[in-house]
Amino acid sequence: MNVQRIIIDCDPGIDDAVSLLLALASPEVEVLGVTTVCGNIPVDATTRNALTICHLAGRDDIPVYSGAVRPILREPIMAEFSGGSGLGNAVLEAPVRKAEVLHAVDYLVKTLVEAGERGEKITLCAHGPLTNLALMIRHSPAVAKGIERIVLMGGAFRAGGNRTRTAEFNMLADPHAAAIVVSAGIPITMLPLDATYQAMATPERVEKIRAVPGKVAQTVADILTFWDRKDLKRYGSLGGPLHDPLVPAYVIRPDLFTIESTFVEVEWRSELCFGQTVADWYGRTDAAHNVDVVLGVNAEGFFDLLTERLASYGN
Amino acid sequence: MKTHRIIIDTDPGFDDMVSILLAFASPELELLGICAVAGNVPLEDTARNALRVCELAGRTDVPVFMGCAGPLLRDQVFGKYANSGGLGGDLLPEPALRCAEGHAVDHIVKAARDAAARGETITICAHAPLTNVAMACLMGGEEFVRGVERIIIMGGAFEALGNRVPWAEFNVYADPHAAAVVFASKIPVTLFPLDATFQGLLTPERLDRIRAVSGRVGEVMEKLLKIYDRNDVARYGQEGGPLHDPMVPAFLLRPELFETVPAWVGVETANPESAGHTYCDFFGKLGRKPNCDVVRRVDSDGFFALVTERLAAYGPTQRGETQ
Repeated sequence: MNVQRIIIDCDPGIDDAVSLLLALASPEVEVLGVTTVCGNIPVDATTRNALTICHLAGRDDIPVYSGAVRPILREPIMAEFSGGSGLGNAVLEAPVRKAEVLHAVDYLVKTLVEAGERGEKITLCAHGPLTNLALMIRHSPAVAKGIERIVLMGGAFRAGGNRTRTAEFNMLADPHAAAIVVSAGIPITMLPLDATYQAMATPERVEKIRAVPGKVAQTVADILTFWDRKDLKRYGSLGGPLHDPLVPAYVIRPDLFTIESTFVEVEWRSELCFGQTVADWYGRTDAAHNVDVVLGVNAEGFFDLLTERLASYGN
Repeated sequence: MKTHRIIIDTDPGFDDMVSILLAFASPELELLGICAVAGNVPLEDTARNALRVCELAGRTDVPVFMGCAGPLLRDQVFGKYANSGGLGGDLLPEPALRCAEGHAVDHIVKAARDAAARGETITICAHAPLTNVAMACLMGGEEFVRGVERIIIMGGAFEALGNRVPWAEFNVYADPHAAAVVFASKIPVTLFPLDATFQGLLTPERLDRIRAVSGRVGEVMEKLLKIYDRNDVARYGQEGGPLHDPMVPAFLLRPELFETVPAWVGVETANPESAGHTYCDFFGKLGRKPNCDVVRRVDSDGFFALVTERLAAYGPTQRGETQ
């Protein structure tokens, strides 16, 4: 089996937590490190949550690096659906360690530049606002040589926005960073709301997870119950869209997804469309394609994968 | 004697060179490093030029760090003389000195944090597009903010309008987002806009006086000014050109030469037709808390007397020595 080496940049976050648990249980990927960013909640809290999730997964060996405390230019905005701690109503064992001393951006630069010099490539999984990744690119453009691909959850095309009429939260939270990342010439796969709305954690799917024995699966079932948007009109079913776990799932099982390659830009000049992702679906520009946008998700396959991997934590 | 521990962030450049030479020659200033950034010319050239200036001054003890190769977000723009390397082509020899290990941004963050840990501060002297300084603000966190006493910036233009383009001064134009980050950093800022630097014209008489006392340094200055003609009588009303950057260290050496007002300064980042335009709320119309001390008046003769006196350290008869 060809094991992909990945670094996870995240702002846990309920769906980030599920995403980390999926990645840490998957032999197809080797998680080299976790970097945290200001996003759903302030970076001190996302860092603590990342440590908490690693501990829950029994992976206190995974180094966690704390990153950007704020977006590049806009004022921070916080998410609406994360609960007080950012992990919903889950009561979890406190982490037994602290984050590493090194800044997340310095860790990314060091790891990726060194990988590039050895001719190796690492996949970046991005679940939050792209501030760390943008700073890394501007700090040391040579990181590009060490990156296989950035797989990110973010953006919205035909789905429209979630936090504003036009923008998805991760893009809106730091549109300048997102613009830097998508224009960096690094291969990108983007999982927009168009894709993640296909992965609804319906009560039936959550019950299948709850039926799995073990603390990890029970915790995930609890926080996914908290995650239920109860908005049939918008989503067509009960449950909440499970955004971030699609990122490791894409790395592990790309066959569950369909993509379309296109040219994507992120708007940061406009007030109305701040953070909007704009794709050139019909070739209206001559610009080279810079992003593979995921448009189709095999939701049953994805939830089977997630349930199976959560089961692997056992009792 | 009040001393300042400083970092110079720079893109040499003629007036960057004079500024670094002025800082080297001033015992009040302890240089913790010179950080190169892309600006007037690409990063490789600004770094090489900074090394050349260190060698010219015989100050190979001061580390030079390479920083950011381009602006945060906008398309990269260079100075008017980018095609000649920024410092007169091969007027100064290829430096034997090499850049220090590590990134300029990390050096700035570390210097400030180390200072904060000791209860001290550093001052950042910014002569270039603010990419490195903004990156340090974004990565450094609260400990960094505590460790920086002040950022003194040559940048922006109000009544003077602009130089590289009609609406903006070059350093802000070249990276308006970085300028916006720094203005919002909550670190005290002193800003030398073109309005101030246009008050300090390096006239032929002033250059002669510097040339007479400063040996090889004055000779290099004279040659560089032949290559980079800064004369614009229509604009400045007389012969000579502004000597922008050296006002930054001069402010630390002789603050009484400069009159400042606290004010809120904004920068246009979004509109491509006016990106880099700076505006200053001199009359408090917006009711916002001032984020800059803006230099309004310069004692031009006092400034050039200081520059001349300090650059004499490079002359054949150094003070305290007999011929």
